[in-house]
Amino acid sequence: MRRRVVITGMGTVNPLGHDVETTWHAMLAGRSAISKNELFDASTYPTTFAAQVKGYDLAAQVPNAARHAHAGRHCKFALGAARQAWLQSGLDRFDRLDPTRLGVYLGSGEGSLDDINFTYMLAHAWKDGRCDTAKWAELGYKLLNVFREVEQESNMVVAHLAAEYGARGPAINVLTACAASTQAIGEAAMLIRENDVEAVISGGAHSMIHLFGVMGFNRLTALSQRNDEYQSASRPFDLTRDGFVLGEGASVLILEEYEHARKRGAKILAEIIGYGASADAFRITDQDPEGDGAATSMRLALADAKVSPADIHYISAHGTGTKQNDQVETRAVKAVFGDLAKKVPMSSIKSMCGHLIAAAGATELITCILAIRDQILPPTTNLSTPDPGCDLDYIPNAARKARVETCMSNNFGFGGQNNTLIITRGS
Amino acid sequence: MSDRRVAVTGIGVVSPIGIGIETFWKALLGGAKSVGPITQFDASGFPCRIAAQLSDFSARDYVPKDYRKAVKVMARDIEIAVATAEMAFRDSGLATRSTDEQKMQIRPKRLGCNIGAGLICSDLNELGAAINTSLTDGEFDMKIWGKSGMNNLTPLWLLKYLPNMLSCHVTIIHGCEGPSNCITCGDASAPLAVGEAGRYITRDMADAAAAGGAESKLNPMGMVRQSMLGRLCITGDADPANACRPFDRRHAGTVIGEGGGVLIIEEMKPAAGRGAKIYAEMAGHGGSCDPAGIDVLKPNAGGLGQAVKNAMRNAGVGPEDVDLIVAHGTGVPGEDAAESAQWFEALGGSAGKIPAVALTGAIGSLFAGSCGVGMAAALMAMKDGVVPPTANFEKPADDCGLNLSGKTRQADIRCAVCASFTVGGQSGACVFKKVP
Repeated sequence: MRRRVVITGMGTVNPLGHDVETTWHAMLAGRSAISKNELFDASTYPTTFAAQVKGYDLAAQVPNAARHAHAGRHCKFALGAARQAWLQSGLDRFDRLDPTRLGVYLGSGEGSLDDINFTYMLAHAWKDGRCDTAKWAELGYKLLNVFREVEQESNMVVAHLAAEYGARGPAINVLTACAASTQAIGEAAMLIRENDVEAVISGGAHSMIHLFGVMGFNRLTALSQRNDEYQSASRPFDLTRDGFVLGEGASVLILEEYEHARKRGAKILAEIIGYGASADAFRITDQDPEGDGAATSMRLALADAKVSPADIHYISAHGTGTKQNDQVETRAVKAVFGDLAKKVPMSSIKSMCGHLIAAAGATELITCILAIRDQILPPTTNLSTPDPGCDLDYIPNAARKARVETCMSNNFGFGGQNNTLIITRGS
Repeated sequence: MSDRRVAVTGIGVVSPIGIGIETFWKALLGGAKSVGPITQFDASGFPCRIAAQLSDFSARDYVPKDYRKAVKVMARDIEIAVATAEMAFRDSGLATRSTDEQKMQIRPKRLGCNIGAGLICSDLNELGAAINTSLTDGEFDMKIWGKSGMNNLTPLWLLKYLPNMLSCHVTIIHGCEGPSNCITCGDASAPLAVGEAGRYITRDMADAAAAGGAESKLNPMGMVRQSMLGRLCITGDADPANACRPFDRRHAGTVIGEGGGVLIIEEMKPAAGRGAKIYAEMAGHGGSCDPAGIDVLKPNAGGLGQAVKNAMRNAGVGPEDVDLIVAHGTGVPGEDAAESAQWFEALGGSAGKIPAVALTGAIGSLFAGSCGVGMAAALMAMKDGVVPPTANFEKPADDCGLNLSGKTRQADIRCAVCASFTVGGQSGACVFKKVP
C-alpha cells in the first residue's frame, strides 16, 4: 500500500495579501496587486512596475522576529507563511513528532544582492576597463555585511525554517526557476510516500524585484512594458499580452503522511495524489513550441494519480502572460486533454499577483486547495481580447462557482523544467 | 519498497588535479596537490590569496560543435557541469543525443538529470563595464543605468547565472527529457542530487540519469563571502600546496577550489543487460539538517550523522558493513571537529577504524561539486581496492578521530559511505555497494 500524502497547513505572503484568506478574497474579487516599483528607482527601466509585497511586518507574523533580522526579504516572507501553515496544521500542539522525521523541502530563490554597495564597489574599483580586484576586496570588507552575503545562498531559507521548527530530517532546496516550488512539493511528497519522513515543510520563496532581477528579465524582454496601464499589465492568454509581471512572495504548505495526520486528529485540507516532472531538452531561451515537455509532465502526473483527464475539474495554469508560454501551454493542455480541453476551466492567478517565480507554484497550489474548499474558481483577469492561439476556457475576468474536487497545477521553468501536481479533496 | 536497483555506470570529473576520471584518479593516488597562488585575478587585496584552480579548462572542448556558441552564456559553474556530464555519459557507454544519437536506445523521456549548484557569482568585468557606463560624477546613477547602461549587457545575461542552467544545458545537449532538477543546498547538493535521481529510477520515473554537482566560487565575490565567514586559510602563502589540511593537527581553514563530479546511474537490470561496466550499486541515500545551522558563524556539520544514518538505513547496511568513509573534511578546525563527531554519532566506534579519506587537501573545497568528486573517488577506490591518500594529513587534530592516512592503502571495499554538509546546516549522504 502506498503511503498517502495530505496537506494539513498552508500559509502565504504575497502581493495580494499577507495571509491565505485575504489573498483568496482579493483573487475572487479579481484585484490587481500591481503598482509602480517602489523597491528601487526603476523610473527609466523598460518596465517601471511590479507586484510587490507592501507593509509586511515580520514581527506581526512570528514571535521571535529578531532572530531572523538578517534574513533576506524572501526569507522573511517564508517565515510568515510557514508560521501560518504550522499553526493551521496543529503540529505546534503535537509533541510526538520525531524531529528526524520532519523534513524541509523548498523551492526558494537566491537572496537579493546588496545592490547599493555592490554597484558602489564596481564603480569605485574600476581601473583601465577592468575590475581592480584589490580595491574591490578593500571596499568589500569595509562595506559588505557577512550575514547579508550568506543569506543569498538559496539554502538559507531552509536553514531558517529548520531552526524555527526544529526539523532534523532531510532538508533540501531546489531552484528550477519558475517551476521550483512545484517541484519541491512534488519531491517532498515523495519523501513521505517513500517513508523517509512523516511530515515536510514545503513550498517556495522568492523576490527578484531588485536592480539586477528586473534588469535581467528586461534584457530577456520577458517582462511586460505596459507602463501606462500597469495595473492590467499581466494579461495571460490575452492577444495583447506583452510579457509577465514580476511579483514576489512566499507560500508554505505542511505535507503529512495521511495516517499520521488522521491519528492526531488534524484537519486534512487536501491530498496530493499525483506528481509529474519532465524536461523540454530543447533550448535555454525557448520552450519546445509543441509543448511536448509540458504535456509529458501532465501525463506523468495523471498516471501517478491514477486519474484521467475527465477527473480534473480545474487546471491552475502556469499562464505567465508571455507570448510564447501561453500558446505553448494551451497546445500542451489540448494534447493531453483532447476533446475535454475546452471544457476544463483553467486560469492564471498571475494576472492578479504577478509571477512569484520560485514561489509561484506553491501559491498556485494553495488556490487549488481553496477552490476545492469553497467550490469556486479564481479568474484570469485582463482577458478581454481573445488570442486565436489561446482558445480554452480561462475563466475570464470573474470568479466562477463550480464543482471542484480534483485540480491540476502546472509550472514550467525557464530552461525547460516542467512540473505538475494533482490534488484532490482530503478525506 | 522497489525491486528496481540503481547502478553507477559512468563517472565524469573536473578537478584541479585532473580532468577526466582516469587522469583525476591517477593524480590522486600519486599524491598530486593543486593549491597555489591565485592567478585568475589579482588576489593581493584578499586575506587568502591561494586556491585550487582549473587551468586551461573550457567547456568548448566538451560540447558538440553546434553547441559551442552556447558556451558564451555559461558561467564557469555551468561549464564545469556540462563537461563533467559529457565525460560521464561517454564513460558509461550509454548513447545520448550528444555521444551517439544514432545508437541512442534509452527513451529520452526516461532519461533524467539532477545536478547540484550553488550561488553563481557574476563576472565582475562584464557587469562592471556596464555599470561604469552609468556614472554621474563618479557615482552609479540608476537613471542612466535603466535608460541605457544595462543595454551593454548581453540580452541573455540572466541565463548565465541561473543555477538550474547546469541541468538545463545537460538535458539539451544529451536529450534528457525525464525529470530534471537542480538542488541548491550548498556543499550538500551533490549527494542529495544523486540520491534523489536514484529515486527517479526506483520509483520508475526514469531508467537512467546524470546526477552530481559542480561549482566554482573562485571569484572575488565568492572570496569575500567565504573569508568573511572566517572559513578560509589565510596563512598559506608560503606553502600553498600544503595549506588545506583536513582533520590534521595544523588545519587552519579551507581553500577554494573549482570543479565537480557527475555520475551516470541506471536501472541495474538493463545496465547489466547491455553489458555496461558497473562501478557499484547506489544503494541508498539520506539527508538531514541541524537547526543550529542558522548560526552561520559557528562551525556546524549539518547533522551529518543523521544523514549518514538515514542513508545506511535506506541501503540496509550497518556500521560493520562499511569499508570506506569519504568525509567532507573542509579543513576548517571547528568544522573538522564537528564533522568527526558526527561520523562517530552515525557509526559508533567503527568510525575510528574504517579507512577514511578527505579530498580537500588535494583539490580544495568545491562546494556543490565537492561530494560529486568525493563519490567519484569512492567508486574508483571500490573498483581498484585502494584507499587514496588524504593530502596534507599527518597527525590528527585532537578532536578528529577518523582513520585517515597521508598514504595510499590497500583495502577490499564492498561498501562506501560519502557525505557532505554545508554552511546553513544541511547534509547529504550516499551509500555505494560493490556488485559481485
